Amino acid sequence: MTATVAAPAASAPARRRKAHSGALSIWWVLPAVLFLIVFYVFPIVQNGYRGFYPEFAGAGLEFNLRAYAKLLGDSFYLGVIVDTFWLSALVTLICLVLGYPVAYFLVRYSGRWSGVIIFLLIAPLLTSIIMRTYGWRVLLARRGLINNPLLDQLGLIDAPLRLVNTQGSAVVGLVHVLVPFMVLAVASVLQGIDTRLEESARILGANRWQTFLRVTLPLSLDGIGTGAIMVFMIANGSFVTLLLIGGDSFRTLPLLIYQQFNTTRDFGFAAAMGNLLLLSAVGCLYLQLRLIRRRGVKG
Amino acid sequence: MRLWRRFKRNPEAPMLGAFVVLFFAFMLAPILIVVIVAFNDANFVAFPLRGYSLRWFYRIVEYRPFLDSFVVSLELAFASTLVACLLGVPASLALVRGRSRYANAIATFLLSPLAMPLIVLGLAFLFYLSALGLGVSFLSLLISHTVVGLPYIMRTVAGVYRGVSSDFEETASILGANRPQTFWYVTLPLIRPGIFAGALFSILISFDNLPISFFFGSAETNTLPVVMLSYIEHQFDPSIAALSAVQMLLAVFALLVVERIYGLKHMSAPT
Repeated sequence: MTATVAAPAASAPARRRKAHSGALSIWWVLPAVLFLIVFYVFPIVQNGYRGFYPEFAGAGLEFNLRAYAKLLGDSFYLGVIVDTFWLSALVTLICLVLGYPVAYFLVRYSGRWSGVIIFLLIAPLLTSIIMRTYGWRVLLARRGLINNPLLDQLGLIDAPLRLVNTQGSAVVGLVHVLVPFMVLAVASVLQGIDTRLEESARILGANRWQTFLRVTLPLSLDGIGTGAIMVFMIANGSFVTLLLIGGDSFRTLPLLIYQQFNTTRDFGFAAAMGNLLLLSAVGCLYLQLRLIRRRGVKG
Repeated sequence: MRLWRRFKRNPEAPMLGAFVVLFFAFMLAPILIVVIVAFNDANFVAFPLRGYSLRWFYRIVEYRPFLDSFVVSLELAFASTLVACLLGVPASLALVRGRSRYANAIATFLLSPLAMPLIVLGLAFLFYLSALGLGVSFLSLLISHTVVGLPYIMRTVAGVYRGVSSDFEETASILGANRPQTFWYVTLPLIRPGIFAGALFSILISFDNLPISFFFGSAETNTLPVVMLSYIEHQFDPSIAALSAVQMLLAVFALLVVERIYGLKHMSAPT
């Protein structure tokens, strides 16, 4: 009843404005949407096809599952898939363990230093990925800044340790690139936690550790989730770091795609591996959306 | 005395503080070391450094591919950011104010390139754009970098615009401004910080893009990261360090300029 009365009662400018925004949305959004459909959705769909028609470029154009059979049937490639996700999960876990205390400090204790901390978190993002991997290679080299003191000054080891192109260096490089995302995601949620909840827990007799485990940590799970999904997603697709300081220690899907393109040139197979990565990215995106929606309902 | 009292109140604070210091030592070490190595005199990197010189900075100018690819990267970063702004700014404005139930779905779609593995996108773009007859060209690079830059523009612009009350625009239209006038004199000045922050992000991302650019490599279309990658695959001299240091200096300078003029509060705004 009120709705039907309200509509005609709306003032003329209000109605005009409403008509405005209706027309506005379609024509202002359309160029971006069309651009992405033509230059983003179509390429991905074509990539999807190529996985099922591995001889896309050649004559024999028939649907087959050879590329996927090779990817999912061969124990070597299954190992690659497992390695890819295992490495991402490990990197995500380390980012969480290192990043959470930093986020906690940033929100609760940093005070007037918070600007500096945020700048230091963003600063590495201003440097090229090549610069950072180059830096790690210098630090971890055979006669680098880690091996040299151990050998010459401290004499703890007899021969230089092999540090670069190992699984360790691959993980260190990835964590270095991705941990700022985790810190920012956790900090933004910690910021919103009402500290009176923690004070109440303390007053009711919980000690610091209990308060953290029972109150703060559960309340920050959303931030952990957002950060973890983001780090996992980017780690899954990253390959420059692995190529330059991981060497052959981890064989992941992105590295194999790069290899297929450069040497083997089996594009159908490369497409199939790409589709698997895309699928996992879409899965992560879906999880992220559900997290955001849940938070939206709660807030 | 005050310190002691604070310590008694928060016994975990100093431990956390020490951890944070170590954390940033880890974060900054590989970056600082590159800057130091850039001034190294020798042909190779060995510690302790024997002497200091600026010769690797001269090498940047001497080695043609560095300079040529730098120009390509610069043009590409600015051109793709411009196209991304033209597409993304109107879209994010409409999506923030739009009440359509599709607004959320469309926003998710427009932001989704952020989540896709770039190397897969690069391969898919190469085949698709070749089929269209664009092949390995600057235009292909421009299109692919625009797809990747668009979400960064949209995120920051939407973040800023969401915080702007619609009262300003309504007042303008009640006072007789037509739509273009309202947009030009009211909306645009209000969202300018978002546009600049997003554009800066998009430029930096384009400049650092390797997984897409290397699929479109040729003498005329090699970007700076592609040339740097092939350079360090063959030699390890400090010219890459010098080049990286210069690149970082430019990025920090750009950040400071944008921060000075528009403030960076919006840059880390989660959306």
